[in-house]
Amino acid sequence: MMNSDPIPPAAPDAGGAAIRAVGLVKRFGPVIAVDGMTFDLAPGRIYGLLGPNGSGKTTLIRLLTGMTRATEGTAHVLGVRMPDRANLARIGYMTQGDGVYPALTAGENAQFFGAAYGVEDAAQVDEALRLVELADRAKTIAGTLSGGQRRRLSLACALVHKPPVLFLDEPTVGVDPLLRVQFWGHFRRLADAGTTIVVSSHVMDEADRCDELLFMRAGKVIARGSGEQLRTEAGTDDLEAAFLRFAGETAVAA
Amino acid sequence: MSPRRLRALVRRVIVEIRRDRPSLALLFIAPILVTGLFTFILRDASGPDVHVAVASQGSGPAATLVSDRLEGALTAAGMAVTHANSVDEAQTAVRDGSASIAILLPASLAPGTGATITLLTKGLDPSGDTAQIAAVSQAVLGGLASSMGAVLPAITHATVYGAPSSDPMAPFAPAIVAFFLYFFVYLLTGVSFLRERTGGTLERLMATPVTRGEVVTGYTLGFGFFAMVQVALLLAWALVAVRVPAIGPLPGFAVGLGISVAGSPLLAFVVVLLLALGAVSLGIFLSTFARTELQVIQFIPVVLVPQFLLSGVLFSVDSLPSVLQPLVHVMPLAYAVDALREVFIRGADLSVTAVQVDITVLAAVAGLFAAVASRTIRRDVV
Repeated sequence: MMNSDPIPPAAPDAGGAAIRAVGLVKRFGPVIAVDGMTFDLAPGRIYGLLGPNGSGKTTLIRLLTGMTRATEGTAHVLGVRMPDRANLARIGYMTQGDGVYPALTAGENAQFFGAAYGVEDAAQVDEALRLVELADRAKTIAGTLSGGQRRRLSLACALVHKPPVLFLDEPTVGVDPLLRVQFWGHFRRLADAGTTIVVSSHVMDEADRCDELLFMRAGKVIARGSGEQLRTEAGTDDLEAAFLRFAGETAVAA
Repeated sequence: MSPRRLRALVRRVIVEIRRDRPSLALLFIAPILVTGLFTFILRDASGPDVHVAVASQGSGPAATLVSDRLEGALTAAGMAVTHANSVDEAQTAVRDGSASIAILLPASLAPGTGATITLLTKGLDPSGDTAQIAAVSQAVLGGLASSMGAVLPAITHATVYGAPSSDPMAPFAPAIVAFFLYFFVYLLTGVSFLRERTGGTLERLMATPVTRGEVVTGYTLGFGFFAMVQVALLLAWALVAVRVPAIGPLPGFAVGLGISVAGSPLLAFVVVLLLALGAVSLGIFLSTFARTELQVIQFIPVVLVPQFLLSGVLFSVDSLPSVLQPLVHVMPLAYAVDALREVFIRGADLSVTAVQVDITVLAAVAGLFAAVASRTIRRDVV
């Protein structure tokens, strides 16, 4: 059987960027959720979107994954302008909620999302479960898994098709510290293997695990750089203080 | 549409329902239970227990003859009769419950006087009163005729389609089968799809190359499969009666309702299945407007009950007020009920225009609702 949606070839015109946003704006009526963002994200790196609730992190991810249309501007992922349904086969998206079927087993969930992405190889489904250390739980009904296990299953479902680009919307919310360390271990391994990862978070202590951070406030990127760079630039040794410094500056500038 | 993705979707829907035991029970057992109960009530309803008090306001031999003949006719019809000496006494008997109805005879019943006989009831139970009045009226007419030396002719009933059926369930069966199927399929799909929306799985699914059309088709085929099993089971239950002989002290009994069907059960199956597919899309569509499972249930009085009232399930469509008549034509259930009555009672097959129209409309409604339902799945789900 032929796959009815051939994956479009990656256009190299994005200057080697895995993700490119140009003048991205999203308005919901009078509310401006994303207010003119322009950036390039290089492949194989972990990017952290950091900002308070309502700063536009989730909307930005939804724009980049093509789940919602931009009011203005463009978003390209792997050289393909979003939204593009076929390109979704190369993108992994872990939503804020678990988004797994509680009546299905862990294995069935991974298999189903695999099939949705066009993965037919059972070994690849097993591999995703192994990666999140759920291989021994494959036959367990997802609804009976612990909260942390469900979160891991959710991650497995997002990377079952080995996407070159992975969006993780607050992946560690409600996750215990031990599992959080494990998660970041997974993310690092994937990035080392060439995956571009975009993680949103409002937890500052996770930020240093990212290669680069984008501080977000009121729909704008207010600062960008590694944790070290941002701290130095802000003249503080605390990332939280750095964020407040940048946020304060933009508030004054505005 | 990718066959692989579609297959994965259908399989997932089927596995989910199969694991949901209470819903499976609801889908298969509830319609059987409800139709069985409905049939039992209709077929074995006991006639009204009539206790008549007769009071005559006249006196003399003529009046006595009339009330004697009348009381005789009532007793012959199996009713308990007491003689009241006055109208007041009869009224008291009805009020305190020792009589269920009173017949108040005027002073004179001589022909040409335009005399009125009054039937007196408590007035608390309109349908029970109607049944009593019908039973008593017939006996009153017979009694009066005989007191005047006449004999009333017997009245019998014949039907154009099939033998006159003494089964009171026969005209209701097609409608009841259609309605309960529609109801349960809507409820299950609505709740399942709402879970898909609120559980975050729909959003996640929309972040894969799966199309909206594939999702709706997957649901339709998955639920369609269970609807098919349900329809087959329900039709078998309604049409077949398997006699279980008496074993030892256990009396013999029948499994199934044994409702006679003049036409092809297969055609009935097709009609009901089309209706069920429409119910799947209706469930998906309405789940858009619900935030909780309770709200899916709250749509029932708005969407399903009017269809129940306007589709000829209980009340004949012709008897509906003329203002409501046009509404009947937009009720999918009305077409299914009409087609099923054609098949069950008239024995219609596919060559009958009415059946062709009904099936075409049902298929069109199922298709239209599937298209509308897929429009409700937005990439923009928040």
